[in-house]
Amino acid sequence: MDWLSRQFSTRVLSLMVVAIAINIVIGYTVQTVLKLPIYLDSIGTILVGVLAGPIAGLVTGAASNLIWQYAPGIGGGTIGPFAITAAVIGVLAGIWGYLGVYRSRPATGARLWAAAIIGVVVILFLASRIYNNPAYTDPNVGGYPAWVFTAIVVIAIVASVSVAGFILVRRDAAGAWVAVAGALTGIVAAIVSAPIAAYVFGGVTGSGTDVIVAALRQGGQDVYNASLGQGLFSDPIDKTITSFVVFIVLTSLSPRVVARFPLGERIVTDSEG
Amino acid sequence: MSETGGVPEIVPEFVLPPPTGAYRRLNPTTKLLIALAEALIAFGVRGWSGPVVVLAIVLASGARAGVGARLVPFLLATIPLVASILLVNTFLYPGATDRIFVLGPLAPTWTGLVFAGQATLRVIAFAMSAAVLGLTTGPDELVADLERRGMGRRTAFVLSATVRSVPRVLERVREITEAQRARGLDTEGRIWRRVRGLVPLAGPLLFGALTDVEEQTMALEARGFSAPARRAVIRTFPDSTPQRALRLLLAAGTPLVLLVSVIGMLGFLP
Amino acid sequence: MSLSLRSVTYRYAGSSRRVLRSLDLNIERGEVLGVVGANDAGKSTLCLVAAGLAPTTIGGRLDGEVAIDGAPSAGARPHELAQRCGVLFQNPVTQLSGTTATVWEEIAFGPRNLGLALEAIVERVAWALSLLDIDVLAPRDPARLSGGQAQLVALASVLALRPAYLVLDEPTSQLDPQGTQLAGEAFARLTRSGEVGILLVEHKTDLLERLANRVAVLAEGELVAVGPAAGVLADERLEAWGVDPPARVRLARAAERAGVQLPVSAA
Repeated sequence: MDWLSRQFSTRVLSLMVVAIAINIVIGYTVQTVLKLPIYLDSIGTILVGVLAGPIAGLVTGAASNLIWQYAPGIGGGTIGPFAITAAVIGVLAGIWGYLGVYRSRPATGARLWAAAIIGVVVILFLASRIYNNPAYTDPNVGGYPAWVFTAIVVIAIVASVSVAGFILVRRDAAGAWVAVAGALTGIVAAIVSAPIAAYVFGGVTGSGTDVIVAALRQGGQDVYNASLGQGLFSDPIDKTITSFVVFIVLTSLSPRVVARFPLGERIVTDSEG
Repeated sequence: MSETGGVPEIVPEFVLPPPTGAYRRLNPTTKLLIALAEALIAFGVRGWSGPVVVLAIVLASGARAGVGARLVPFLLATIPLVASILLVNTFLYPGATDRIFVLGPLAPTWTGLVFAGQATLRVIAFAMSAAVLGLTTGPDELVADLERRGMGRRTAFVLSATVRSVPRVLERVREITEAQRARGLDTEGRIWRRVRGLVPLAGPLLFGALTDVEEQTMALEARGFSAPARRAVIRTFPDSTPQRALRLLLAAGTPLVLLVSVIGMLGFLP
Repeated sequence: MSLSLRSVTYRYAGSSRRVLRSLDLNIERGEVLGVVGANDAGKSTLCLVAAGLAPTTIGGRLDGEVAIDGAPSAGARPHELAQRCGVLFQNPVTQLSGTTATVWEEIAFGPRNLGLALEAIVERVAWALSLLDIDVLAPRDPARLSGGQAQLVALASVLALRPAYLVLDEPTSQLDPQGTQLAGEAFARLTRSGEVGILLVEHKTDLLERLANRVAVLAEGELVAVGPAAGVLADERLEAWGVDPPARVRLARAAERAGVQLPVSAA
């Protein structure tokens, strides 16, 4: 493990400590105290990945879940085995960091509107994939119950308006990229999580999202596909929200401070500061 | 490496000596390896045997360490998950036809019940195993012992700083939540109210913590954190030949058991 | 024997603005050099540059030379610099390592990092504790100290590396009056030993008046005045540079305007 931590600067290590604590505390508060139907336990992981690269993201994600599992007082639950998912999320965030996805892109006029439209199209496309997926609509295999379809439509509309609004109000085309990165991260997270939930926990996680698992099972899905279906519903929403939280945090930090992280120069644009 | 462990006499007595008492006095690394092996076997060996054996060992070691009663809250914490596992699988197990009874739309199946029972046992065995480790082994002890065994100071720092900061940050969140309640913001009521309560809670936490990173980095450097030397050991923990043998057995045996289980050679077990 | 800055100019990474401009400054062992100036005058940057953290840890571009007892800081590693010049910041909480159960172990963190033997670590911790007269804090949990106590523990933790110079960046700004009093007494005790030179950035000029031998004034990254504390703190231009004069000076001025004669001891 030492060769691993030695390649991180002291600054990255300090950030990891804070990020892991944020993952655990916000995740615990959202899921257990506020009982909201999202996770929000990867804000720190994505932040570290974007600022310090895929390996730092991987370590932060995996360590968060393992430490959470064994943390006195708030431990237990199902979080530990999902360390694999968290690690993958961290790696993806590192890739987004390299690609400069989270760099602010001030825009005006046609380019701004184009970005807003791209953001909306991506979200509607994702929603339509879930809505029209034959695995869930084929009456022979069974499908989502009607309320899930209603929920998809409502959430897609709310998400499109939010993303377009975010881009237009902040005059920042980066919003479209952030939405795409968040949604992709969510899809990958769902695909990685499904076998863990199915194999380790009998397909459920003890949270509100189990309702969707039950509904899919009712419709005739097997253990694995019911978990996957639930993940593909919850994870893209969760990770898109998380991505925007990270973007807001990054843009409100002093560029001078951001630039000191390994990938900082890919996030900071202007250099007058 | 001492057989007894302890803190050298020149160190003041308030620097805590290693714990005593049954099970607790085992070397922290031994206890960690036991917990890891338990987790892997509970999840890795299919059927009843894996989780049942692990649960039996975990409960025995918990009783030996005298933490039996303190395991109850950890057991209660698994209720939502266990309830979900039992309900969803017993009533909605895909493809199962061996119905226990039929009552209107409800048709529980034996296949689902067995699957749910095994998953429940696995979850409980794992939760109890994690709890026994947490209740008998301080994170500081574990990190100190791992560092003596060669883990680098940078890894040791991340582990112990995180474990120490989580309760502190949770406390801060609790203060913020209580202040919000005092100002009439609802953290119990309708979903939109709870979502609105999240922003003033997560915001200061995120921004406050990140501005601290810079100062913490410089403070660490100002205390020689990047020096190349190995650090002196202050606390040592007892170790013994039987424990070394047990660790070797766990490290070699657990992967073997998992492998054998995966290729189906344990098919004769229930 | 001194910490010296020779025509030092500094720019942060990714920025062309010169935050410090052609600065020349000397801190002798055994003296306290107070530094005052408006917000954004470059005081914190001066601390980072003097301690060697800029550019070693935070990057940026440094022109000119920083040297400690004749040894240039450029090219030195962070842990080598830490043993030549210690640095203390505003927030006591972020300066503790957050990895220890007792104050004793917290102070031992630095000497342990250096790879010292246990005997030497024990001796240094005892020395730092008694120098600041905080032996009673040794068994306490570092996370459960008052602001003033935590700042003293942070100071002891830095002193345990035995630096010949200390850079203190507004060390009392987050402390209550009682904590400020505690810290002030500790700084005074340090200089009486005569072995440590201190660069003290502090907007509380009353504190500087009691502690500092000399005072330097920074304005927009440039040194606009430096000299004996009493003289600089009574300078007419102090308010124009964005610094509140000490209460005694303000009182004397008010008395003069009102034509009141003050007893010599107050003036």
